[in-house]
Amino acid sequence: MTTSSEKQLPPGTTAPNATLHKWLQRGLFVCLTVLALEGTFTFPGLMIWYGFPDLSLVEMCSELAKVRYSDDARECIFLYPLFAPAEAAGQTTAQDKWGVQPRPEYKRIGFRELVQIRDDRLARQAAAKQADVGTR
Amino acid sequence: MNQSLSNASNVYDDHQNKSRDAQRKADRWMLPGAILMTTAVLGPIGFPLFLKGMAMQRRALLDGMSVRPMICTLLGYLVIMDSGLNSIGWSLDIFAHHSLISRTLVTAWGNMFDAGYFWHYNELWAGGAGAPGEKSWEYSLVPTVFCMRLAAAIGFLQMKRWGHQWLIVTCWFGVIYWVGYVANMTIFADLRYANIVFPVWGWWLYDIFYITPFLAIPYLHTVNREIFSD
Repeated sequence: MTTSSEKQLPPGTTAPNATLHKWLQRGLFVCLTVLALEGTFTFPGLMIWYGFPDLSLVEMCSELAKVRYSDDARECIFLYPLFAPAEAAGQTTAQDKWGVQPRPEYKRIGFRELVQIRDDRLARQAAAKQADVGTR
Repeated sequence: MNQSLSNASNVYDDHQNKSRDAQRKADRWMLPGAILMTTAVLGPIGFPLFLKGMAMQRRALLDGMSVRPMICTLLGYLVIMDSGLNSIGWSLDIFAHHSLISRTLVTAWGNMFDAGYFWHYNELWAGGAGAPGEKSWEYSLVPTVFCMRLAAAIGFLQMKRWGHQWLIVTCWFGVIYWVGYVANMTIFADLRYANIVFPVWGWWLYDIFYITPFLAIPYLHTVNREIFSD
C-alpha cells in the first residue's frame, strides 16, 4: 500500500531518499545552469577582457605571447606551419624565478590592459623612430 | 470484458506513444543544444536550443506524460556538458595547440584562471600546456574517462541499465581525477596562480560547477534501479 505522499514522488525516488534527491536535483540544476552559462559566455567574455574588438584575434594572440615570454619582438604566426616545432621551443626570454616551484614574473593583465600595453609600445616605437630620424 | 481490456490497453499504448514522442521531441532540442554548448565557441547557439528542450520536457511532465524524471534529465545532460567541455578544452590543447583559438582564447583563459594554460605555453615539444603533470592528465583522461562518461550519459538518458551502471563507474573515476587534479595544482600552485587575473578563488568559482560526480554518486546509489531497463 502506498501513501498519497509516496505517489507524488518521481519514479526511482523512494520515500526515505526523497529529501536527498530533492536537494541533489537543486544542486544539479544550479551546476547545469552555470555550466551552460560558462559554456556560452566564457569565450566572448575573454575576448572583451583581452581587448576585442580593438584588438583582432591575431593581435590578441601576439600581445599575450609578448607578455608570456617578456619579449616585444614575439609575433603570432598565423597560419602556423603544420609540422614545425613548437613555436616557443628553445625560447630564452621568459622571466621566472626558477626552483623546485617555478614562479612566473610576468605581470597580471587587467581589464582591456592589453590594448593599453599595445598602444604604449607602438607610441614608444614611433617616438624612437622619430628620434632616430632626427639624429641623422 | 475483452472489449474493455482492449480499450484500456489502447489507452495505455496511446499514452506510452505520446510520452515517448514528447521525450524524443524534447531530447531533439536538448541534445544538440548541450553538444553545441560543449564546443564553447558555439555556446550562444546551443543555449537557446537547450532551454527550449528543457521547457518541452517540463511541459510534458506537467501534462502527465511518462517521461524521464527531471533529476535524470539534469544529471544526464550535466554529465554530457561536463565531459564535453573537459574534452574540447583538453583535445584542443593536445591536438590543436597552435591553432589561433588555442593560442588566443585558451591562453587567455589560462591567464585569467589557471596559468597552467599560459605559462610557457607551446614550449614543450608536445605543444600546449607546459605545467608539470598537466599533459599527463590530458593524455590519461580524454581517451578514457571522458569518452566513457559521454557514452554512459547517453545510455543513462535512454534509461538503460548499462547507462546507470557505467555512470556509477565513471563518477567514481571522477572522484579520483578531482582529488588528483586538485592535488597536482596545489603542489605547483606558484606557477599556476602567480600574477593571473583571478587566482585560486577564481579557479574554484569557475570550476566548482564541474563537481558533477559528487552530486551524481549519492543519487545513482539510492535510486530505485527498477526504472532502468535492459
